[in-house]
Amino acid sequence: MPETRILLKHRDEPGIEDIETYERLGGYTALRKALGMERQEVINEVKSSGLRGRGGAGFPTWIKWDGIPKNTNQPHYVLCNADEGEPGTFKDRELMLKCAHQIVEGIIIAGYATLSKVSYIYIRGEFVESAKMVRKAIDQAYRKGYLGKKILGREDFDFDLYIHVGAGSYECGEESALMSSLMGERGQPRLKFPHAPLPVIAGAWNQPTLINNVETYSVVPHIIVNGGAWYASMGTQGSKGTKIFSLSGHIAKPGNYEIIFGMPLLDLVELAGGVTGGNLKAIIPGGSSVPLIPAEIAKDFTLDYEASQTVQYRMRTMRLPVVGSGGMMVFNDRTDIVTLMLRTAEFYAHESCGKCTPCREGTRWLYKILYRIVSGGGRPSDLDILMNICDGIDGRSYCALGDAAAWPIMGSLKHYRHEYEYWIEHKRSPLGDNFVPPVPNRLNLNFELLPAR
Amino acid sequence: MADNDLVNVKIDGIAVQVPKGTPAIEAAKKAGVDIPFFCYHPKLSMEAGANCRMCLVEVATPRKGPDGTISMAKMPKPQTACSLPVSEGMEIETQTEQVIADRKAILEFLLINHPLDCPICDRGGECPLQNNTIFYGPQNSRFIEEKRHFPKAYPLSKHVVFDRERCIHCARCTRFTDDISGDHQLAFLKRGADMYIDTFNQSKMVSKFSGNVIEICPVGALLSRDYRFKARPWDILSQKSICTQCSNGCNIKLDYRVGRLQRVNARLNEAVNEEWTCDKGKFGMDYVSTDQRLVTPLIRRDGALQPATWSEAMDLVVQRLKEAGKSVGAIGGARCTNEDNYILQKFFRNVLKSNNLDHRLGTYLPPAQSGLHARLGYHTMGNAIADFERMKTIFVIGSDLVNEQPILFLRVRKAWRFKGGRIIAANPAATQISEFADPEVTYRAGAEVALLNGIIKILAERNPSAADLPGYGDFIKSLAGWSIEKAAEESGVSAERIRRIADAIFSGETAFIAGKAVTEHPDASAVIEAICNLAVLSGNAANVNIPVTQCNAQGAMDMGLLPDSAPGYTPVEEPGLNTRQMLEAAADSNLKALWLVGADPVAHYTDADLAKRALGGDTFVIASELFLTPSAELADVVLPVASVAEKDGTYTNCERRVQRIFKAFELSPDVHPDWFVFADASGRLEQPLPYFSARDILREINVTVPLYADCSPQKLGNEGIRWQYPSAKSDLQLVPVEYRPLAKVTVAE
Repeated sequence: MPETRILLKHRDEPGIEDIETYERLGGYTALRKALGMERQEVINEVKSSGLRGRGGAGFPTWIKWDGIPKNTNQPHYVLCNADEGEPGTFKDRELMLKCAHQIVEGIIIAGYATLSKVSYIYIRGEFVESAKMVRKAIDQAYRKGYLGKKILGREDFDFDLYIHVGAGSYECGEESALMSSLMGERGQPRLKFPHAPLPVIAGAWNQPTLINNVETYSVVPHIIVNGGAWYASMGTQGSKGTKIFSLSGHIAKPGNYEIIFGMPLLDLVELAGGVTGGNLKAIIPGGSSVPLIPAEIAKDFTLDYEASQTVQYRMRTMRLPVVGSGGMMVFNDRTDIVTLMLRTAEFYAHESCGKCTPCREGTRWLYKILYRIVSGGGRPSDLDILMNICDGIDGRSYCALGDAAAWPIMGSLKHYRHEYEYWIEHKRSPLGDNFVPPVPNRLNLNFELLPAR
Repeated sequence: MADNDLVNVKIDGIAVQVPKGTPAIEAAKKAGVDIPFFCYHPKLSMEAGANCRMCLVEVATPRKGPDGTISMAKMPKPQTACSLPVSEGMEIETQTEQVIADRKAILEFLLINHPLDCPICDRGGECPLQNNTIFYGPQNSRFIEEKRHFPKAYPLSKHVVFDRERCIHCARCTRFTDDISGDHQLAFLKRGADMYIDTFNQSKMVSKFSGNVIEICPVGALLSRDYRFKARPWDILSQKSICTQCSNGCNIKLDYRVGRLQRVNARLNEAVNEEWTCDKGKFGMDYVSTDQRLVTPLIRRDGALQPATWSEAMDLVVQRLKEAGKSVGAIGGARCTNEDNYILQKFFRNVLKSNNLDHRLGTYLPPAQSGLHARLGYHTMGNAIADFERMKTIFVIGSDLVNEQPILFLRVRKAWRFKGGRIIAANPAATQISEFADPEVTYRAGAEVALLNGIIKILAERNPSAADLPGYGDFIKSLAGWSIEKAAEESGVSAERIRRIADAIFSGETAFIAGKAVTEHPDASAVIEAICNLAVLSGNAANVNIPVTQCNAQGAMDMGLLPDSAPGYTPVEEPGLNTRQMLEAAADSNLKALWLVGADPVAHYTDADLAKRALGGDTFVIASELFLTPSAELADVVLPVASVAEKDGTYTNCERRVQRIFKAFELSPDVHPDWFVFADASGRLEQPLPYFSARDILREINVTVPLYADCSPQKLGNEGIRWQYPSAKSDLQLVPVEYRPLAKVTVAE
């Protein structure tokens, strides 16, 4: 099955960063069309397209759009989540670099549909180039009258778009933490439904707030131009349209691939040129927050939101997602799973915001145990402890970061328990001579720098 | 609350009815089900809470199926009970296998980096982490790695010592500084497991309320520098008491060990201090157990004060009082209990036949029936402390509220932070209220009347119905020369800001709080009249508050320690001398004997020179004191008396709430409460006042003072009783006030 480029259609077009080129290729026609429609019609179009949030959770987009109170004088906000921090995911980066106008157009349409006047695009701090391109696109849109006062002559539609650049926290990609950070508070998640109202009722500055991913907004102009039914004609029952997957790892042609939902997992690997340097060992299909899938069962999975894998532990059975944010990492059989998990655990221990107990203490503990195992100090009881810690974090943490830290390790313990046992028994990797030791890590250095008691 | 606001929930099968939106943890408390927690605190906002995850419970809510049947749908994840608002039909399970496993897991997580140095931790024995670990925690830890290390005993402020290793990151203290005290001193730095609490740039924690973070810390991370290593919780005994540092009457617990006060903790009283104390109270009460306390009477012999026995001292006192006849006076009582004060005035009025009594040490010494009482029908505060929460606007004028009335400050801030109240403030200098006052204006010192006239001018134009009030004609005539611009020029506050203040007062029920800048004003009565005019004009005649500042000054007034009124504000026929007149008389040798009852004019009276002359002259000066104060050093006889920790009785706080104190321990058998000394002196004058305890005296007060009729020992309870004036004043009127710029004012009589 080939690629289906919709969002990345103009990726390789020279001069696409200029608004003239974008307009020549049909840019901003969606905005003109949307402004000719009733606001509710725009939302209905999004509803009929079956678009689901592309950030990872797959929440139906129209529900958020429709949930913004309609008859209110309260200010409300449109936020675009461009804090793409998920390991292995780089789709938003490319969308911002190559197709920034498409995002801006989508945000303006969202602002029109929700009667909003102000919007923010929260860009990850490391994405300096992307932020520059978005800046350029916004400036050009202001100059052309797509942003600012009385957009395209509409007396009742003023709309401003501001860029907010993050300060380098993975956690701030979580929507409530993003809003805290945007408001100038510590980048920590806030209470969520049912503990507090949904963001569409009380989000940033306690006002109704619409928040979507970069890719979600990018889809919107295409839905408006071609109609929701066209978009819904692609994909599977529950997952409509296309999705960008970022392929990396031991693969011949890494990069962003846009495919229609429902493609078998292994077809996408083939599309990207197949595995290099050995045979396929495992795939992390949707960013490091989803459990890895071993090669033996990879053929059973298709890429859509319905696909899930089951992990059983004690009294709980968990169905864990496969697609996530679309950051697909492919590993060949020279990959050491325990070291891979050590790196994952290090990431989450480093990025945990520290707000809630299970994630703050648990992620660091997971890392310490894994570090001890690869340093030759593993004990047979460690595997039970690892599973126990994951169980204590999963579902008990404040936000999904804790879950995301626990799931990969739970998955690897299910599929690759023998590799852990080999490490513990022989104090070396099952890969033998093929093993590449991990680079010295930052976290432990930090501990050594702390003053002794 | 109406029935439709209640919802039915089941907690472990126990059905309870609670108001909609109550946190599940409170509903469980009502059902008698214990849910462990660390970070939850009912007074702190939930926004930054729900982070300890100790209160996880399983929750099921009713869901309507497609066929109309209602089934219970269990939430897939466990929920934190502290932040979950209950809804109709919710079922909460707190004893399932899953919940028990979760609690174990959370406690194991909390303990992996906790140093477990309980044997040397001050919190050991009263530590929520210890308790919860014993009840819900795992038996042993599986953590064999190195724990997190920080330097121990980091000095956070003058009063607070911080042990970062013990911190469990519950965010109670950071939320306290944001939500309650408003000084925003503490915050988290770094993230993840490296996260720790610190002040900005490692500066000292500057807070008027820092002691509270010690009490709300659920582990031994934040510790009192004073109490550190002094005692263990199981060694100390505790007695209910009232803080004596200001007139707010905070409910406290005196924790003592072997006759020495070890620490002070707040006691819950929703009507007064909720559960907070200020640092003055929490760390200032240690005067009770210092070595400087007097334990024997002192008599001046050969020009020096020398120890004597009680009978020697009392014989001398009685002999000199007999010689003095009616030429005697007493200053003080603002720090004594109501019982002490009642006996003091009874001794002076009935036995010595003198009305020379005054408890006030300020410049403003108006007759009891004038000022606020003449205009509005009450003497000090029209509102209860808790009333401020419901005010739409609170106007603080001439008061450094956080220093003068710390607990009122917390209520005012609560009104702003949680109840949507608007705070406006006018002060001669910027104060801590500028954090939330909108606007806080700074006027030229002494120009209160000008500022108030500007506001009154605007309100008078907007409120035509005021024309019916008596005195309106003269009042409007006196304002003829005033315009907003003139007020702006005189007071130094811009016209636009005066308009904003008037708008805020006009927008709804407004309370007025005036402080020391008003009562110490040379022309204080004019300023108070102007405030009354503003209140009457804006329809807030019941909301003017000029609280007293000393611990029991309100009670001293009630008990008749005023030259012109007996207990219960009954006017006396021949008014005696007030403080100033007594000191002047003593300085001119016109007063034979002067009794200082817990008063130190040399240190606290505005005219220290006059006080020194008065006490150092021929007048026989008796001082009932805890310490050898500068005034007591000039006295002829110094009598050691009991402090708040060593006697029973009642205090009346600034909002007229009568609250009991209880004797905690005894300093020495030779130290007696003040009332005992007066009763003894009276007995030696052969007119015995037969009382055996403070309780006896309170019963007599209940009978003889109608205002205190309800405040019997049995009825006071833990909350105390706020006595009420028999009726509200009905004949409100407006009075012209003359504005005299400060330079032209001479000191008021």
